[in-house]
Amino acid sequence: MRKGFDTRSLPGFGIMALLCFAALYLPIAVLVVFAFNAGDSIAVMQGLSLRWFVAAAQNEQVIDASIRSLQVAVAAAGLATFVATLAAVATTRTHRYRGRDAKIMLFTVPLMVPEIVTAVALLILVSKLKVWTGYTGLGYLILSHAAFCVPFAYMPIRARLSGMDTTLEAAAADLYASRWQAFAHVTLPLLLPGIIAGFMLGFVISLDDVVITEFVKSAGQDTLPTYMLGQLRRNITPEINAISTAFLMLSIVLIVLFYLLSNRKKT
Amino acid sequence: MRDSSDMGESKVLSAVTLAGVAKFFGTFKAIEGIDLTIRQNEFFTLLGPSGCGKTTILRMLAGFETPSSGEILLDGRDISRLGPNQRPVNTVFQNYALFPHLSVAQNIGFALKMLGRPRPEIRDTVEDMLALVQLSGRGDQLVTQLSGGQQQRVALARALAPRPKVLLLDEPLSALDQKLRKTMQIELKRMQRETGITFVFVTHDQEEALTMSDRIAVLSNGALRQVGSPHEIYNHPVDRFVADFIGETNLLTGKVIRQDGDCAHVVLPGGVTIEAQCPHAVSAGSEVTLAVRPEHCTLAGPEAPLSGFIEQVVYFGTDTHFHLRLPGGAPLVLRRQNAADGRALPQQGETVGVALAPSATRVLRD
Ligand SMILES: Nc1ncnc2c1ncn2[C@@H]1O[C@H](COP(=O)(O)OP(=O)(O)O)[C@@H](O)[C@H]1O
Ligand SMILES: [Mg+2]
Repeated sequence: MRKGFDTRSLPGFGIMALLCFAALYLPIAVLVVFAFNAGDSIAVMQGLSLRWFVAAAQNEQVIDASIRSLQVAVAAAGLATFVATLAAVATTRTHRYRGRDAKIMLFTVPLMVPEIVTAVALLILVSKLKVWTGYTGLGYLILSHAAFCVPFAYMPIRARLSGMDTTLEAAAADLYASRWQAFAHVTLPLLLPGIIAGFMLGFVISLDDVVITEFVKSAGQDTLPTYMLGQLRRNITPEINAISTAFLMLSIVLIVLFYLLSNRKKT
Repeated sequence: MRDSSDMGESKVLSAVTLAGVAKFFGTFKAIEGIDLTIRQNEFFTLLGPSGCGKTTILRMLAGFETPSSGEILLDGRDISRLGPNQRPVNTVFQNYALFPHLSVAQNIGFALKMLGRPRPEIRDTVEDMLALVQLSGRGDQLVTQLSGGQQQRVALARALAPRPKVLLLDEPLSALDQKLRKTMQIELKRMQRETGITFVFVTHDQEEALTMSDRIAVLSNGALRQVGSPHEIYNHPVDRFVADFIGETNLLTGKVIRQDGDCAHVVLPGGVTIEAQCPHAVSAGSEVTLAVRPEHCTLAGPEAPLSGFIEQVVYFGTDTHFHLRLPGGAPLVLRRQNAADGRALPQQGETVGVALAPSATRVLRD
């Protein structure tokens, strides 16, 4: 950067920054505030209370949807991370060959395919499968989410692997480790921060997915986001705010956890 | 490609034998047909300029590369097709390659753990190794908390812990500062003596090779030029490359007049005839290259047949270098040890007599 140039001295820069932050965080702040509303409105504040949190926690449908959301997110993110780890090892721990870059692209391009396209494609496939097999359980949702999450999980894992010195694996082999031992004792532990990052990314993406879930789910398989969407079409109460706020807390905890983990491993 | 130091000796125990080992990368010939015997329990150095193939030879010994042709024998067994984890040869990597997620002790015990040795044995060996590299009490530290010199010691301990038949070291001292390097040179020699393990050491630093090695192999462009003790390599270089690469050398050209056994009479371009060592046969009238070290040239009185014009005088504390121009136009560097009496030395612009020690002046093979 040129010496003497400071963006803060630009006229209007401070105001712009303030507006940007307001646009990012004000709606969330309002949402959180009204979660504590004692009244029935999401527009008029009538004193503070935890009644909507209590109401949400006692709502069978909310509990059902929350449990289902967590089940799907954990299973899908786990599956996606497993596949992404294998894919990342396969594409980085090999010499360059024709078609390797094409394979890497095949893993990352789905990030740019509009989600609605994936959703429609999955709808067609899954509805056929439901008819053929007669199975209508959560499996479809889990597999669909996993497929969607693979490229997200793949990116941090591959980044970590390609930044990792391969002489460490050579050193392990030199010190009598078989290929499997070298992977288990050297590659995997060093890769762990990338794997955790990949899992968390997949987890969060699955947790708040609406589009694919709406298209793929069978009757009575609402996840928390699709349940909330359904509620919005009827009467809106601060219960929605309370659920969202709880959701927000969960993501903040995850982000902090991830930040701590990745910083600890960097030293 | 001759191994002069093996001549006339009784059969010695060999640790590693390279028989006609060559290595191609595509069509590029990195190593050409090398025959070499590394003896048990010796400090052996591969010396040569950057890119001459030292690392490639080491990687073939370690098992990271397979020779394109030829055999590598370890205790008489061909190991050239075995993987790195299947041969009792360990490496100290140039960048150490320590495992950053493991403690010092876990790094040192890694090989024994992979070999499935019992825990108490691993613990004892790790303690011994920590003592050997003078890091006792540091076993629980993370390797990332150590200084460069300490990491180097851990890398050594880690490679020595499984007691390999041969330890390979690829320019291990090049990343250290001058002072630490001198200390580590002595340390490495001590560790080699104490463990009795054959060390194969790679360096491009001829001074380091001369001070540390039992024997040295000089390489250039993937070919072996000379193998011998530091004394042989320094005092009896077989060719122009070795003479030029090892230490400072004056190279003079001249024409042979006659040869009496090991002594050749050579006339220099200025018309002065000098005597030089020449163990190989040369015919009268042929052009040859002579090598003589600066410390084997002396200042002589004005009556000496050979004279030199002083172009520059460089003072070094322990000695003084005179850069001379000989009558035929050839440059010659002469080194003179400084005396304590502070006697006046010849100055730039003077012409002085020069004597070349006949026993230290050699006719080189081409
Ligand atoms: N994997 C490889 N592929 C192609 N050429 C290589 C490879 N490894 C080494 N070389 C070439 O072989 C020659 C010797 O390299 P190296 O053994 O690393 O030399 P040194 O260690 O003496 O500096 C160099 O010219 C280098 O470019
Ligand atoms: Mg090298």
